[in-house]
Amino acid sequence: MSWLRSEGFVRVALSVLLIVSLYLLSAATENSERFGRLYVWLLLLNGVVIVALLGLILNNILRLVRSVQRRETGSRLTLKLMALFVLLAVLPGLIVYAFSMQFLQRGVDSWFDVRIERALDDALALSQAALDQRMRDMQQRVEDAASELVDVEPAMTPVILGDLREQIRASELTLLGENGQIIAASSIDTVSILPHRPEEGILLQLRQDRPYVGLDPIGNAGLHIRALVPAPSPDGPGSSRVLQGLFPVSPRVNDLAEQVELAFSEYRELAYLRGPLKDSFSLTLSLVLLLSLLFAVWSAFYLARRLVAPVSRLAEGTRAMAAGRYGTQLPPGGNDELGSLVHSFNDMSRRVAEVRDAARRSQALVESQRAYLEAVLGRLSSGVLALAPDGSLRTFNQAASDILSVPLHTGVGQPLSGLAAEHPDFEPFAELVDQHRQGNGTDWRAEIALDTAEGRRVLMCSGTALPGEGEIGGHVIVFDDVTTLIQAQRDAAWGEVARRLAHEIRNPLTPIQLSAERLQLKVAPALDGEAAALLERSTQTIVHQVEVMKDMVQAFSDYARPPALQRRPVDLNALIREVVELYRGEPGEPQLELELADDLPPLMADPGRVRQLLNNLLRNALEAAEPGSCHITLSTARGEGRYADRIELDVQDNGPGFSEDMLNRLFEPYVTTKARGSGLGLAIVKKIVEEHRGTISARNVSHGARITVRLPLDVALTTESGDSP
Amino acid sequence: MPVLKNAKRWPLALMMGLCLAMASPVADAFEVESVEARFDDGLVIADARLRYALSEPARDALENGVPLVIEQRLVIERPRWWWRNVRVVERERRYQLQYHAMSRRFVLTWIGTGESRSFRSLDALLEELGRVESWPLVRSERLDAEQVYQLAMETTLDLEALPRLLRTVTLTDGDWQLGSETRRVEVRR
Repeated sequence: MSWLRSEGFVRVALSVLLIVSLYLLSAATENSERFGRLYVWLLLLNGVVIVALLGLILNNILRLVRSVQRRETGSRLTLKLMALFVLLAVLPGLIVYAFSMQFLQRGVDSWFDVRIERALDDALALSQAALDQRMRDMQQRVEDAASELVDVEPAMTPVILGDLREQIRASELTLLGENGQIIAASSIDTVSILPHRPEEGILLQLRQDRPYVGLDPIGNAGLHIRALVPAPSPDGPGSSRVLQGLFPVSPRVNDLAEQVELAFSEYRELAYLRGPLKDSFSLTLSLVLLLSLLFAVWSAFYLARRLVAPVSRLAEGTRAMAAGRYGTQLPPGGNDELGSLVHSFNDMSRRVAEVRDAARRSQALVESQRAYLEAVLGRLSSGVLALAPDGSLRTFNQAASDILSVPLHTGVGQPLSGLAAEHPDFEPFAELVDQHRQGNGTDWRAEIALDTAEGRRVLMCSGTALPGEGEIGGHVIVFDDVTTLIQAQRDAAWGEVARRLAHEIRNPLTPIQLSAERLQLKVAPALDGEAAALLERSTQTIVHQVEVMKDMVQAFSDYARPPALQRRPVDLNALIREVVELYRGEPGEPQLELELADDLPPLMADPGRVRQLLNNLLRNALEAAEPGSCHITLSTARGEGRYADRIELDVQDNGPGFSEDMLNRLFEPYVTTKARGSGLGLAIVKKIVEEHRGTISARNVSHGARITVRLPLDVALTTESGDSP
Repeated sequence: MPVLKNAKRWPLALMMGLCLAMASPVADAFEVESVEARFDDGLVIADARLRYALSEPARDALENGVPLVIEQRLVIERPRWWWRNVRVVERERRYQLQYHAMSRRFVLTWIGTGESRSFRSLDALLEELGRVESWPLVRSERLDAEQVYQLAMETTLDLEALPRLLRTVTLTDGDWQLGSETRRVEVRR
């Protein structure tokens, strides 16, 4: 900006200088003696200025071309404006110049009139003609005088010459010898010693016997007629003497002739100087035009740049905004419309930046809220699924994936049914959700049992439509794994039942047994054979059944209040082999197959309880199977994935599997499909597993049923948590 | 279009003129063929032969009634090796050449004295102008007998004496830059 301003000052100073120099130049061109001497210096100065301007313009053009090539902002606009300015300046200038030039040429020419020129020529010719007659007269007179000199003695010559001069009224009469030397002379002017000698050329003409007569303007004396004739000498015709007579023309004729001569030569001079005059004016005019045009062109660059500068700054600012550099501020540019445009731009830019900052802040807020929500969801034990309006999975939490035992991350963006196709266990859940989603009910709750890879699970689901239309809406489904909860409730209920049963039943059993035995003891002797045998049988039955009931009550009691665990390291595989050996050779020839992992770490457990667990499981499997074709597989393995800290024990039989109803209550007491047994087998198994902080699950497989027990390996945890009473 | 043609020529002519205005006059039109000094009657007297050849524009101007002034300059200098020469004396003669239309003769006027002679042809006039005889320069005593002096002679057409209009043109026209180179001869008393 400052260089623009300083350039502006330089420009003003230069233009003043230029105007002064042009004024001086034109003053010098006109008939002014004052500046005449300055002319060369003015030309020089103007020439230097022209060269400087040309240099500046060239520099500017190069700069402009370079910036156009580099596609700099505003360069093309500058070029256009430049072209426009130059056109505006140059075209009228050239037109004015052409007309001025024409006027100049014609104007100067019009001063000169052919008729005047002719008149002057004629006047000159007339004067010459008028003098011609006189010249011939004078020649005649000199010839006469020459003939009189023929017989004159050389000594007498000067005297005779004087007489002759007076006689023919010459102002000077000179007799010249053969080589042009003066023999004698007589002059009316007594002051001047030397006579006016004729020039060599005339003497040469005389030597060829041709007389000469002509006008001779003699310095101070005015116009004279000079006549030279051969003068025969007394020595004979061979000699070549010359007699020269000078005759003044009459003062009046002299004056007139001088006037005519003066007028003629002045006119001739003027006419001749017409060319230089025109040239000189043309030069000045051209110089003025050239300087003005060059100055205008140079100024056009300046003006174009000055005009374009705010525009190109605006363009750059806009580009910066487009590139995302909001808040770009331009230097303020004057108080015109462009200035207010720049001002508005700055306002806009600042506001956009403010809005951008606000948007960033709110985005950060949203982000943090999202992170917060994610953290909360991640910590939730409930599974959460969010579905898009079209039913595709949008988000989920880890708990959802764990509860459903399905890698939900593979199904993000696709409908649940797609996931169900890959994981058939998931299908009931997907169906349930789709069913509720398509129904118009906003909120829904449902319980569903799922056969997951982890076993059967009971899920309590609730869902609702999310507020919002289109992309924003959708559904959210929250579900909890209530399997253990339900189980726990049932266990607690059964525990209470068992405790009461044990208490209520155990108390009357001893009096019943004692009574029966007393009856036998007291009444039997009094009875005869048959009656005594009946009594004997009946009391025996009562006592036996009471014993059975006592056992049963004991079992209930055990179920309700198990003994303390005696934990120590147990090799599960060894224990399995030991237990299995007991069952070989059982009726029905069961086939027992072992698939035991070799690298199984020892388990911290109560071996007695584990043995009971194995017994119960095996017996359960044996009882479930068809006699004769019983095939049981026991397998152990180190857990994988999230069960890495557990040992898995699978017991699979080839029986009919569990019925749907059974599956829900499998581990409850008194749940059995068999005719005999207490129905406490699996309930106790579950209890043992839970005592060891493990999990148990059962599910039907293609042929038969499979029960999976997972026992934790974490010694520290199991020892620290201690044995529950 | 003479206008445009002129306009095109101007910058060139201008540049040329500027160069010429700064340089010495073109030296081959006039020539000092010989110059010598002699001592006579207690004076230093110079004789010289000059050759004048007017350029076509100059001759044209003269025949159109424009008077020309030719200057002849004689300088006696004492050379100094360490600084500019000392000018002992400087003499100049100015002659006006004019065409007299009435008599169809060329008039040569010695401006100093007003003495004039007329010639039927310009060449005769120039021949006469080129003959410099017995030009007294300085008294002999002014020259130191021990010293060697230089007599320098040159002659030029005096552009300043031309009509002003013509002058502006002649400044930028090489044909008008008429002058001789300076001829130097040694002078010893």
